[in-house]
Order: sequence, then structure tokens, then C-alpha cells
Amino acid sequence: MTELKRIDPRGPRFGAAITSVFAILALNFSLTTSWFYAWVILWVLLALFAWSVFLPSASHPYNIIFRKLIRPRLSEPKELEDPRPPHFAQKVGLSFAVFGVVSGFVFPPGVQLAAIFIFLASFLNAFFGLCLGCQMYLGLKRLGIIRG
Amino acid sequence: MILPAEWITPGLVLLALALGLAYRFLGGRGHRVRKSEAIDLKKLGATRDGLPVKVFGKKATLLQFSAEYCAICPGVSRAFGKLEYRYGNLKHIEVDITNRLDLAAHFNINQTPTTFLLNEKGEIVFRVSGAPKLDLLTKELEKLGVK
Repeated sequence: MTELKRIDPRGPRFGAAITSVFAILALNFSLTTSWFYAWVILWVLLALFAWSVFLPSASHPYNIIFRKLIRPRLSEPKELEDPRPPHFAQKVGLSFAVFGVVSGFVFPPGVQLAAIFIFLASFLNAFFGLCLGCQMYLGLKRLGIIRG
Repeated sequence: MILPAEWITPGLVLLALALGLAYRFLGGRGHRVRKSEAIDLKKLGATRDGLPVKVFGKKATLLQFSAEYCAICPGVSRAFGKLEYRYGNLKHIEVDITNRLDLAAHFNINQTPTTFLLNEKGEIVFRVSGAPKLDLLTKELEKLGVK
């Protein structure tokens, strides 16, 4: 991997904040209007997660908004972080989004479930700096759910 | 449904807030370890600046377990480095357990960072999961005679 350049930790948290808004909107649509709108938003989230997992992070819309509009208004970051933990978190997000999108074909309540999980994980990451996937990485590995 | 549908969205936001606040204020407090076990430095296989770690700190040792995908581990490591610099008789050891699942299983470590506070004999006396509250940890250090 060529992505060992250290990054501003506020970038991924900014992205998580947008993701959490998408996810809570999806949940609200599924409760008030139709689960179908939630499903459409999950497709969008799936595309965004897949983008950050498989394509260069500099091309990601969140990253471009952060670089162009947000970062110039912030002070210098206190420290830079390793890009691998947030990249791993995106993989966790992608797996939830895949679950939600696939559920849409066979089991609509799964769409809601995926929206709830994505909201919780991205909200905690954005506003409390808690990276659930990273915290659980070791536990998941011990259970044999992920190979590393 | 237990809740009316229109309560679920605000309910979930409140739940997320509560979880986040609990994480911030209750996480990283740590607890004393009763049935203590002495660390075997050879089995631990820790290195520092490329050399194997052979001795514990004179009064206490902070043994930190980190992993590759751990966003907060480097920050905790730096904080411990500062403590070590401030207290001469304290030593900080960091072990990456990404590929040492034997250690994770032995010590029942499910999240990183997990920190063990060891006494002068290398016995585990205190254990913290997550980013430690440094003021609480410093009190435990002082109990071991770290100055």
C-alpha cells in the first residue's frame, strides 16, 4: 500500500459526521415514509464506503470537501495519524452497507438495522473520536471473523 | 414496536449521545487486579529500539498492548513516554499484539490499547482498557512508589 502518508485525524471524523447524517435520514425515512428511500440512501453510503476502501482517498468527495472548505478554516492539527485505522473503519462501514443493500432485496427490516449500526458507529466516531471497528479489531480477529 | 415510530430516531440519537458520554467519562478508568500474575519478559518478547526488553522499571512498569488498526494507541504511547520521562523509576513497554494472538488469548485482551501496570517484581496490579485517564493512572503509579 502506498497510503502510509500520515493524515489529519479530523478528516475521517468530518466524513463520519456526514455519514451519520445520511444514516439517520435513512432510518427516519424508513420509519415515516418508506423503507425504499432508506434503501436508496444505503446504496449511496455503499458507494461512498466502497470509494474510500478501493479508490485513492484523495479522490473521495468527503476528502475533497474537507480539503477545500474545512481544513483551511481550522488551525494546524495537533498531531497526524496513521491512515490504516480509519481505512479499516471504512471497511467495517462497507460491510454494514453491503448487509443493508442486500437486505433490501430479501429482508427490508435489515435495511433499518444497517442504518442504525452505521449511524451509531459514525456518530461515535465523529463526535467522540471513538472508532468502534478499531476497538473491536482485536476481538474480531480472535474470534476468527477477520484474518489479518 | 415498543416505541411509537416517531420516537425511534430521536431515541437513537439520545442513545448514541449516552454511549459517547459513557465512553468519555467512564472509559479508561481501569481496575485493580486481584489474582496477580508476574510477566515473563522472555515470553512477552517485547523490544525497544530494536533490542529485547530484559528488565522491568525500578518501581513500576507500564505494559501497553497495541495493534495495527488502533487509532488511539500512538497517542497513548506518547503520553506514557512523557510519564516515563517525568518519573525516572518508571518504564514503558509497548507490545504490538496484532500477530500475537497467543498473548491476547492468555491475558484475555479484546481491545487495544490495553495497559497493565506492573509492580517492581513485574506482577500485574492494575489494568486499563482503552485510553487511560492519566490522573487516575498517576495515582496508581504513586501507590507503587513512583516519584
